[in-house]
Formats: sequence, structure tokens, C-alpha cells
Amino acid sequence: MKRSTLHAMLVAVVICTAPLLVLAARVGQVAPDFTATASNGKTFRLNDYRGKYLVLEWHNNGCPYVGKHYRSGNMQRLQKEWTGRSVVWFTIISSAPGKQGYVTASEENEYLTKMHAAPTAALLDPTGEIGHLYDAKTSPQMVVINPQGIVIYDGAIDDRPTTDLSDIAGATNYVNLALEQAMDGKQVQTPATRPYGCSVKYPDSTH
Amino acid sequence: MTCAVRLKGPKKSQPNKKMRANDSSRRLSTALTFGVALVLCAAGAQGAETSIPHGTLELVAENQWVTPGHEFSLGLHFQLEKGWHIYWVNPGDSGEPPRVTWQLPPGLSPGVIEWPAPRRLGTSSIVDFGYEDAVTLIVPVNADSSLAAQPLARLGAEIKVLICREMCIPGKTELSLTLPVKSRPPAADPRTRDLFAATRKELPRPAPQDWKFTVNDAGDSFVLAANVTPQITQAIFFPLAEAQIDNSAPQILRPLAPGFRLTLRKSDRLLKPIERLKGVLVLSGNHAYLIDVPVTKRGAQRSNSGSGIQEIQSSREGPVK
Repeated sequence: MKRSTLHAMLVAVVICTAPLLVLAARVGQVAPDFTATASNGKTFRLNDYRGKYLVLEWHNNGCPYVGKHYRSGNMQRLQKEWTGRSVVWFTIISSAPGKQGYVTASEENEYLTKMHAAPTAALLDPTGEIGHLYDAKTSPQMVVINPQGIVIYDGAIDDRPTTDLSDIAGATNYVNLALEQAMDGKQVQTPATRPYGCSVKYPDSTH
Repeated sequence: MTCAVRLKGPKKSQPNKKMRANDSSRRLSTALTFGVALVLCAAGAQGAETSIPHGTLELVAENQWVTPGHEFSLGLHFQLEKGWHIYWVNPGDSGEPPRVTWQLPPGLSPGVIEWPAPRRLGTSSIVDFGYEDAVTLIVPVNADSSLAAQPLARLGAEIKVLICREMCIPGKTELSLTLPVKSRPPAADPRTRDLFAATRKELPRPAPQDWKFTVNDAGDSFVLAANVTPQITQAIFFPLAEAQIDNSAPQILRPLAPGFRLTLRKSDRLLKPIERLKGVLVLSGNHAYLIDVPVTKRGAQRSNSGSGIQEIQSSREGPVK
């Protein structure tokens, strides 16, 4: 994306009080850039990772759908497998202060240790800015971005929209499929699904 | 089953830890549960009742007995604490509809749930479709003609239901009801007659035959038009399929003479054209209609463009939190 276009978009973000849907991430288009502070204190910018595959995972530790994938170890397995294959994995927490899933940096670090989670970083988004930029509706919502910076998957983690741990075995995992197909040079066959889970707990005042 | 028995045992399922922690709200919920049970007793409803997180669930039958060779209806009556909701068959942006696994004797086969028209719930950026307060889901059950008469047939159901307010709690419970099987013609149970009648009123029905609907694919939106004669000041469309329309986008109503036009923004996740738009259309006065309209593409009609005609945004929404 041209820098001038990006600037125009940023200005639009500031002045636009109407829904930001037009600017939200879409499959097949360039992933909107953002800069965020992680629970480990480091700053991460999305566009610094051009050349790598990225996974964005919307997270809320109190959500039973997220619980399904963490208590079973499913999410941690995915994080370990794909970061082991040079994929950059950002867990993003867009819960507002006082709402379910909101954590301080140290609380999130404790959680990551306790759950043996292995994302590249857990990004704190208490204003919901990144969430709205990607029009994230649920936790866990998953986004996959290719090395050219194009969104190649946006939606559910798998095809079983339930809170049952027993539904993980045998489910079709859309993140695995998107990454495997893209890395094989193929078209991603299921590039968009309805993300399932709990609504993202944005601040009341936004939108 | 009598009301006295139901009043004794309404707390079968496992309350969530968070609920337990809050004693005063539990006392309130218990009081509400008993209050609801008393009201139901007074109204004479029959059935089996159990608790679910922040509410109760009752299994009721429309008829006094099962008659082989006839269809009859069961009802799942949800009563929820204020502010809590459950979901429609298409839950919208988040959540999950109730799921029922029936345990019925051989010869009895359940049909699909008849879903009353839902409401828009949620915030301005995340919109769900569901029910607050109370709702009854009717399920028709076919009784095979070969079914033998028997004193008691046990009709069991395992129900998984997600109950949400600001946060969501999954509930799982089992209920059963016993009815005799008789060769006599079916007879309605006077204790549940009002509940079933009121619920059927809420069910979406086919639109009158002289109403003509069209759906135009206008690029970034679908434009649903109808030539209905009554003056329409409110219209909300609930899509049956997920990821067709943008659930949180305002639905723009433009009254025409005659009829109206409703502009529905497409979902960003709709990557392929669709052949038909199916769903429930709720018009002024809470009249709900099932519609199934082929989608046509007539050039790139600009939606939402300014004009002198008054536009009305959907306003039949739940509390915006």
C-alpha cells in the first residue's frame, strides 16, 4: 500500500465517527498495519513482519470458547507448531478495563506461563483499536496473513462452534488448512468463515 | 408431574462457580425461579423443569397423551433472568443456538425446532440474534402408527445452551417427561394450551401470496424490496445463513408507495455470490414472515445514496450496552 493511501486512511480513522467497517481488514486485501505493546513490554509493529506468515488470535481468558482451546492444549499446540515453522503468532487481547478478559501485562505473563502458551507475543489492546481495525467479533477469532501482507484467512479456529472439549478431536482446523495450503503454493480453499465464540469486550464508548 | 414436585427440585444442573460466589444474586435467582414456578402452577402448565445458569428450562407437551400415527408437539420453555439471553438458530456475530439431543422411545421421531422471530441484541459493533426474558421452542414429534399403546413413554432431552449477558456461560442439562401412549384421538392439555398458542403467534409465517419480494445484489449490499400494501415504518431482516449480511450494520428502510426497500450491507466474509436470500422479516407491529427470495443483479445500484425520501434505521433493538 502506498504511504499516501495509508495516511489518508489514518486520517479517515480519526475523523470518522461512523462505523469503521469500510477500513476493516478483508480477505484478499492488505492487512491493516498497527503498533502494539506486548505483555513482555516490547513493542511490535505488524508491517515489520513482511516476508513471514502471521497469525492473529483474539483472546479472552474468561471466555468458555477460548477455555475449550486452552484447557485442551489445542491452542498451545498450534502456537508451538507454527512458531516452530517461523510463523509469527500474536495473541491479541481487546477486552476493555473492567470487562471480561482484561488483563494487565503481569497478569497476562502469568497466564502465558501457567498455560504453557507459546505465541510470539501477547499484544495488549485495551482501547479495542486493533480489534476494530480487524473488525474482530469474537474470541477466539483467527486471522492469517501471508508474507506479502495479504489477509488469507479470517474467521473461526475450526468448524465446531461449541464449548465442548470433545469437539476438538475430528474438527477441521481452518488455521492449519490456510497455512498449509498457502505454504504449498495453493489457493486457500476456505478463506473466510463466521468466527465463533464470545463477543469481543470492547469499551462501551467506542462506536 | 405435579407442581409440588417441580418446586422441590429445580436446581438439577451445575451452577457455575461465578454464580455460587454471588450469594445475593443466587438468592434473588432462586426467588425468581420459585416465583416463575408459582406463576406456571397457577396457569396450570405441566412438565419437567430444571435450572440452567441464570434461568430455568421446562419441557412441556401440548397433548395429554401420545397417539400413534399422529404428530404432536413438545416445547422447551426457557425463562431467563433479566438481562440474560439465549440465541436464535443463526446466533449472529457471537454465541451459539441451543442444541437438543432427544432420547425418545422407538417409533417417536423429532422434527426440527420451530424458532420464534428473534431480536437484535448486543452492541453497535457486535450484533447477535436471540431471545431475552422467556421463549418457547416448539419441536414437532412424529409418532409412528406402529407404536404400541403403553402406560408411560419417557420423552427425554439433553439440552446444551449458551446463556449470555456481558459474559457467556454454557449450560448443559437433561429433562424428561412421561406421557401415556393411547390409541384414542389426541387431546390438548389445557395446562399448556395458552403457552403453545402464544408461542405459535410468535412464529414467522409465510408472507401473503400477493406480496412480491425482490432482492438485488447492489455490490456492497443487498436491496430487499417488497410491494406490500400496509404502511411499513419498521423492518428488520434476520438472515438464516451466517456470514451473508453484516449483522451490525444499520438496516436502512426506505418507504415507497407502495411497499418499502430495505438495504442490507453484505458481510465482509461473503466472498461468493448467493443465489437466494432466506430469513425472517419482522415488519411494523412485530409481524414476522419467512422469506426466501432469489437474488438478482441489476447493474450497480448505489445503495444509501442521499435522496429526499425519508430513511429509517432499524430501531427494534435490544439494550445497547
